Amino acid sequence: MPDLSKMKKPDVKVVLLGDMNVGKTSLLHRYMERKFKDTISTVGGAFFLKQWGPYNISIWDTAGREQFHGLGSMYCRGAAAVILTYDVTNWQSLAELEERFLSLTDTANHDCIYALVGNKADLTDPRAQLPPEAAGLPEDQTEEERTEPRVPSACPTPPASPTSPSGALLHKQVAGEDAAALYGRILRYKGLDEKGSLPAEKMCFETSAKTGYNVDALFETLFDLVLPSILRKRHENQESPTVDLEDFRGVGTKRARSTCC
Amino acid sequence: MSVKAFELVPAVERDLLMGDKARINIECIECCGKHLYVGTNDCFIHHFLLDEVTSSKGKLSYSSQKLLHKYLGLKKPVAELRAASALERLIVLCDGIVFLVDMVTLETVPSAAGGGVKIRGVTAFCINENPVSGDPFCVEIAVLCSKRRTVQIYMVYEDRVQLVKEMNTPQQPCAVSLDGYFLCLALATQYMILNYNTGASQDLFPYNSEERRPIVKWINREEFLLAAPGGLGMFANAEGISQRAPVKWSESVIAAAVCFPYVVALDENFITIHSMLDQQLKQTLSFRDGHILQDFEGKVMLASTKAVYVLVPLPLERQIQDLLASRRVEEALILTEGAQRNIPKDKFQILHRRILQQAGFIQFGQLQFLEAKEHFRKGELDVRELISLYPLLLPASSSFTRCHPPLHEFADLNHLAQGDQEKVLQCKRFLISYLGEVRSTEMVNGCREDVDTALLKLYAEQDHESLLDLLATENACVLADSVPWLEKYHKYFALGLLYHYHCQDSAAVKLWIRVADGDLQDSTRSGLFEYIVDFLCSSSSQDLVWKHADWALQKDPTIGVHIFTKRPAGKDHTDLNPDDVITYLGKHNHALLLYLEHLVLERRIQKEKLHTHLAVLYLERVLSLLSKSPTDAEQLNRARERLQAFLRESNLYRVQFLLGKMENCEQLLLERATLHGKLEEHDKALHILVHKLRDFPSAEAFCIWASSSRDSAYRQRLFHLLLGVYLDGSPGKGQTANDGGGKLEMAAVDLLNQHGEVFDPVRVLRMLPEGWSLQLLRPFLNRAVRASMHACRTSQIALGLAHSENLQLLHDRLKERKKPILVSEKKGCHLCHNTFSEPAVVCLPGGVPVHTHCVAQRVRDSPTKRHLTNSSNHT
Ligand SMILES: Nc1nc2c(ncn2[C@@H]2O[C@H](COP(=O)(O)OP(=O)(O)O)[C@@H](O)[C@H]2O)c(=O)[nH]1
Ligand SMILES: [Mg+2]
Repeated sequence: MPDLSKMKKPDVKVVLLGDMNVGKTSLLHRYMERKFKDTISTVGGAFFLKQWGPYNISIWDTAGREQFHGLGSMYCRGAAAVILTYDVTNWQSLAELEERFLSLTDTANHDCIYALVGNKADLTDPRAQLPPEAAGLPEDQTEEERTEPRVPSACPTPPASPTSPSGALLHKQVAGEDAAALYGRILRYKGLDEKGSLPAEKMCFETSAKTGYNVDALFETLFDLVLPSILRKRHENQESPTVDLEDFRGVGTKRARSTCC
Repeated sequence: MSVKAFELVPAVERDLLMGDKARINIECIECCGKHLYVGTNDCFIHHFLLDEVTSSKGKLSYSSQKLLHKYLGLKKPVAELRAASALERLIVLCDGIVFLVDMVTLETVPSAAGGGVKIRGVTAFCINENPVSGDPFCVEIAVLCSKRRTVQIYMVYEDRVQLVKEMNTPQQPCAVSLDGYFLCLALATQYMILNYNTGASQDLFPYNSEERRPIVKWINREEFLLAAPGGLGMFANAEGISQRAPVKWSESVIAAAVCFPYVVALDENFITIHSMLDQQLKQTLSFRDGHILQDFEGKVMLASTKAVYVLVPLPLERQIQDLLASRRVEEALILTEGAQRNIPKDKFQILHRRILQQAGFIQFGQLQFLEAKEHFRKGELDVRELISLYPLLLPASSSFTRCHPPLHEFADLNHLAQGDQEKVLQCKRFLISYLGEVRSTEMVNGCREDVDTALLKLYAEQDHESLLDLLATENACVLADSVPWLEKYHKYFALGLLYHYHCQDSAAVKLWIRVADGDLQDSTRSGLFEYIVDFLCSSSSQDLVWKHADWALQKDPTIGVHIFTKRPAGKDHTDLNPDDVITYLGKHNHALLLYLEHLVLERRIQKEKLHTHLAVLYLERVLSLLSKSPTDAEQLNRARERLQAFLRESNLYRVQFLLGKMENCEQLLLERATLHGKLEEHDKALHILVHKLRDFPSAEAFCIWASSSRDSAYRQRLFHLLLGVYLDGSPGKGQTANDGGGKLEMAAVDLLNQHGEVFDPVRVLRMLPEGWSLQLLRPFLNRAVRASMHACRTSQIALGLAHSENLQLLHDRLKERKKPILVSEKKGCHLCHNTFSEPAVVCLPGGVPVHTHCVAQRVRDSPTKRHLTNSSNHT
């Protein structure tokens, strides 16, 4: 019987969830392949392996389509981080996260971390239209904007300034504080104490897969945060021996599952 | 895009099975080694022997031979057949009953005394792929029952079955697989994993079994393949986790199996083959009326209602080659790397390397050089494979032959580029950069010559600046091959370097000379002449130097002479003998002069012969310039200055000899004066300067020069001599007054007024003619009087000072005398360090008491027998 498990066994799993067309696949492409290309609707799910230092992280891209909804729980099983993705130009996509996707994360690890990601920021925010290096140099005020959610009535989407690269901006339907509020509700849903958990400012991102804005920051923040989870998992594996399909050095070191006469 | 990964080969054809009986259909199959069992809807089991036949062309086919068929007597279709070969039993499901049949005779096994051999009310069963009991003569099966929501686990023995466990399920199960304790079940609306040992369960995902037939396929240790909503093939392990990305089937998929790295699925009309490595659909085979797809010990078999087929995988290499042939490099590499675990390590490495190389060439052909390079590097390509694509680059001496079978389809670069010169150029540039990178790595061990020669050729052809670097540093370029190539591209300078690298300096110089002379054209190096001179200059071969020095000197003596003058000092090669060089340079006047200057002025060789020779050459040059008419004043001046400076500064040349040479030359008076000066014939010299040349500044300069390293008395003497010469020629001494006399007088006055400090004023005053006005000599006299006054006063002051010093000392002495001197037995004498025993002591200046005898001793020893002491009384 050929050994099917040729893949490196991932140390940890990160799952992207969210409605279809919010840009999950694009985000993953941008991060893994450093480009933005046309995506075809994701069928069922796909995953990438990312080498992060000595660790292998599997990042699962899921299908947002209703049809594949049932698979979500399975993808989330054992996840160390879940990226809940919405589209900043689409209020409904944020609502869907709470209505449809949040419950799928029940199967994730008990210490799973959650990131809330508003993608397509390039459509509403001139800053996100620049390549990430250029956007990294904020004007005085932008720093503030990033950390403190804007009051929507006081300051709606800024009018397109003459210097804006693409002129026409779409209306931003989801403000930063809406995401922060949802993040709070997620913590409550998980029965987590808000004080003991990662703060919304840290875990709510606005990204653009198109320009790359904030994409590396998103994934790398998460990877750094899941490292303890990796270490814990490694530790557990050493404690309780299981049959490692990867291990072809023989069974000498591990207890065989079934005894042989 | 498709790959040909499998071939569908008939195994049992319709004729053999049912002949022309149209209503008979295949219901199930089982294959165990060569034995194939087929269950039909008319309750028969057919037993065939299946033989693999490979044709001479390597094509595989099956010949099947019918051994037996048996009616089971239930009038119902045979639903499942499973072989338990260790028991020699077939486990049969027919009419909802599981029972055993002998594998050979196909006879139903009767019930044993101890227990039943039949299980009733069964809808489906499966064999444990990973049995938990160690008993080899027992098979574990999981059974689904039609009425109750339960799963039962049985042990099947040769002649009985034994219920081990019964588990309740939340819904009616309709499909099952078993691995160890893990049951993977399809329930009415979902899949689940159930551990029959612990009772723990794990929901997988929802699925409507009414809508679509569920698939629960064991594929690997604790891993199952499941039909998921939307026609997905989902992987799930016993923990309920998916570790592989799903594949996309059609909605109507009936059955699936894994034949690594492919997932094979069957639907109503097609067999689809997906790669587990990249999820992609790789092959589609049309297959009508298919309803069975199963794998038996790695062999994938299919059945339509009427016939049985084997899905034969093509050899991996063949598949990879097919992918490469359609330029699907990435897929080919994924497939290769995916096979790593299934191929012995060394074999895999060879395969992998080859595929990488082929991939590299495909990308090379598409001008994707970066990717190509990476693959060449990883695949450890013999660079000569690449070089050999470029016509004529490999040296004729190279033993290289391309590997077989070939790594690519290109005959050569021209074939590849199809006449597109831009492409050719890009490929060449790539090769240049690639060879440049690898030539210093161990990748080129054993073929350095080929690589360097190829690089040289490319550099030459492309007019590349690194050609010279290549040749100037360590390289392995093959001479025989490179010479014609460099000549072809007129890279003569480079060729010379190559000759030099191969220790053929003579050939190098000859070639360069032809370029320098304009016989050959190569503009690589400006200042080639200087380069050749430098080259000869540092050449250790004297032969070479003597052979080409003439050429260089003729071309430009000033630079040519560098061959001799710029030779690195000392070093390993025995230096040229200066006498030889001088002799040799005899006919090259100017060069000889430069050489002598080099010896005398730079190397400061203190040899009379050389100095005299140089002086004579300077003189000759002056003379020859003088003899020309019209004379070039500027040149002459320069030549004379040189001569004069040398005559003044050197002390080694033969003065008389030179004087003799210019005795008759009235134009070189200044030089003669200098020579006289050298002979200390100052009067003659001054006579010439004053009377013949009337060059008073020179006369004064002469005095200063001639006395420069002497004492002031000598200088005074010279100045007085000069004054005398001036005065002797002046009319004051009875000569008729004329212009000249007046001038001399003025010269004398100027001399005195300007250099008054040198003269002895008293003697001067005696020499001066009576009639001279005081006014005229005022500066001189002023200075003289002042100087003498100054001297007088200075000496008076000195006298006074000495006097007062004397008084001061006297005072000190008196003071010392009055001081008490303490002497005790504890105090020692400063001279002998013994203690005092009597009051009579002597006191040294400063009141230091010492023994009288010690002082006496000291006085005796000291050369100046002065009395230093006074006796003093003890107080
Ligand atoms: N402007 C913009 N469009 C995006 C961005 N990310 C994705 N898209 C587009 O949104 C559509 C859906 O993207 P996809 O990645 O397939 O979404 P998924 O269904 O969540 O995987 C595609 O047409 C993308 O081109 C983004 O950051 N900015
Ligand atoms: Mg997608």
